[in-house]
Amino acid sequence: MTEHQQFLAERDKIDFFIQKGFRIQSVNEHLDGATVEFVHPNGDVTEVLLISNANARKYFSSLLIKQNPIGK
Amino acid sequence: MADLRINLAGIKSPNPFWLASAPPTNSGYQVQRAFEAGWGGAVWKTLGDPILNTSSRFAAISFNGQRVAGFNNIELITDRPLDVNLKEIYETKKKFPNHAIVASLMVEPKQEKWHEIVKRVEDVGVDGLELNFGCPHGMAERGMGSASGQVPALVEKQTLWVKEVAKTPVIVKLTPNITDITATAEAACNGGADAISMINTINSLMGVDLDTWNTIPHVAGKGAHGGYCGPAVKPIALNMVAECARHSQINVPISGIGGISNWRDAVEFMLMGATGVQICTAAMHHGFRIVEDMIEGLNHYLDGKGIAAVSDIIGKSVPKYSDWGNLDLNYNIVAKINTDVCINCNKCYIACEDTSHQCIEMLSDASGKNYLRVWEEDCVGCNLCAIVCPVDGAIEMIEVPNEMPPMTWNERQAVINAVITSKVDTTK
Ligand SMILES: Cc1cc2nc3c(=O)[nH]c(=O)nc-3n(C[C@H](O)[C@H](O)[C@H](O)COP(=O)(O)O)c2cc1C
Ligand code: SF4
Ligand code: SF4
Repeated sequence: MTEHQQFLAERDKIDFFIQKGFRIQSVNEHLDGATVEFVHPNGDVTEVLLISNANARKYFSSLLIKQNPIGK
Repeated sequence: MADLRINLAGIKSPNPFWLASAPPTNSGYQVQRAFEAGWGGAVWKTLGDPILNTSSRFAAISFNGQRVAGFNNIELITDRPLDVNLKEIYETKKKFPNHAIVASLMVEPKQEKWHEIVKRVEDVGVDGLELNFGCPHGMAERGMGSASGQVPALVEKQTLWVKEVAKTPVIVKLTPNITDITATAEAACNGGADAISMINTINSLMGVDLDTWNTIPHVAGKGAHGGYCGPAVKPIALNMVAECARHSQINVPISGIGGISNWRDAVEFMLMGATGVQICTAAMHHGFRIVEDMIEGLNHYLDGKGIAAVSDIIGKSVPKYSDWGNLDLNYNIVAKINTDVCINCNKCYIACEDTSHQCIEMLSDASGKNYLRVWEEDCVGCNLCAIVCPVDGAIEMIEVPNEMPPMTWNERQAVINAVITSKVDTTK
């Protein structure tokens, strides 16, 4: 899988939860990338993704900024 | 014709091109010829207790046919007595009252030594002083030059001593042989410097002779480290000027030095915050007359841009220079190969395949002719292919629109840290 295909695959997984109304609840960065925890607005369902691709890690952080603008 | 005059902390000159303190400014004869050729100012070869030099002093690196890409010397300050230099400075100033003559000074780090030389030099009518805290060899072993220029406290103290008696503006010339030049620049400001100049030469050993195993250069079979300058050091010097220019505690004018070879280099230094520039190696390589091209080129550039005075460009690029953490991670460029211009040398293909991101593809058209194409999705926009391509215009780096808004590393980390510490309010 090329880097770009890997990006698309990880982005799709992120988008899947975002489209269902999930929000990013927490991010844990580590040697293998980032573990991103999503939570449903109802607060009863959480989902976890391991995001390793560099562009996908940019992608979820851009979504996080959109979701929770700091100082803006 | 634009107004090329500059005023560096009160030192005025008809244009921003000064000769740096070095062999080109060793004597009145040379400085007067330089002024006749068009140089706006000269920083006299460093004055102090006259020294003894070695024979065999210089070496240079030629690179792919470009001679003197880098230059190295083990020369010390002036070897001529002070009174001889002062007489020639006096005569030169009388003949060229509107040109800037700055005396470069270096003495032991003692208050009375600095007071004595400042008074004697100012008596002959110099326009300013430059304290040489940068010479990396010979003088440093005696506690002068870069030995004192690497210690912020010594820079501050010696600047203070000079300022106690100086009547003309004091420029402190900084050594690049230090991890963070803003530390010594700030020390100079704290000592009351009216301006700073940078860079002096960088510690270097030019080479080793493969037959004799002697150093290059050598003195009777022995070598010692020298100071590196010339075109090769320009990026290092430019960064140091820019770092000082954008530093909030460094608020004095900057005289830019290091690898400046033409008007373009000079404009870059001025855009990055230098009020004027000093030049040594290019003059040693090509002679005083290079200043004619510099003046003409600068004039054309300013006229072309409709800028009335060269001083209007000072520091214009400084706000564009920041920390890596403030760069937009969502900005994207990709390589585009212009097959009409490409000569099919494949250098870009090899570079990307072997050492970058394997995103240039070799294809052949209907007639069997090879051509190259970039897989834009995998191109990270590193520029390597365009850098190695020998044909101008064959590779263009183009911006790709990104649907995501700008995001810097600092912004990213701030928001990630915020969710880690507070867990975002999911009901928003
Ligand atoms: C042979 C030689 C002698 C130099 N002597 C002095 C000196 O006496 N005082 C000084 O402040 N700088 C001295 N320098 C440093 C230059 O003034 C200048 O800072 C340095 O060469 C960088 O500029 P460039 O790349 O245009 O040469 C010398 C440089 C060279 C090459
Ligand atoms: S810019 Fe870098 S990644 Fe893109 S094609 Fe050129 S070498 Fe490859
Ligand atoms: S390096 Fe330049 S000229 Fe050579 S193949 Fe690539 S685009 Fe063409």
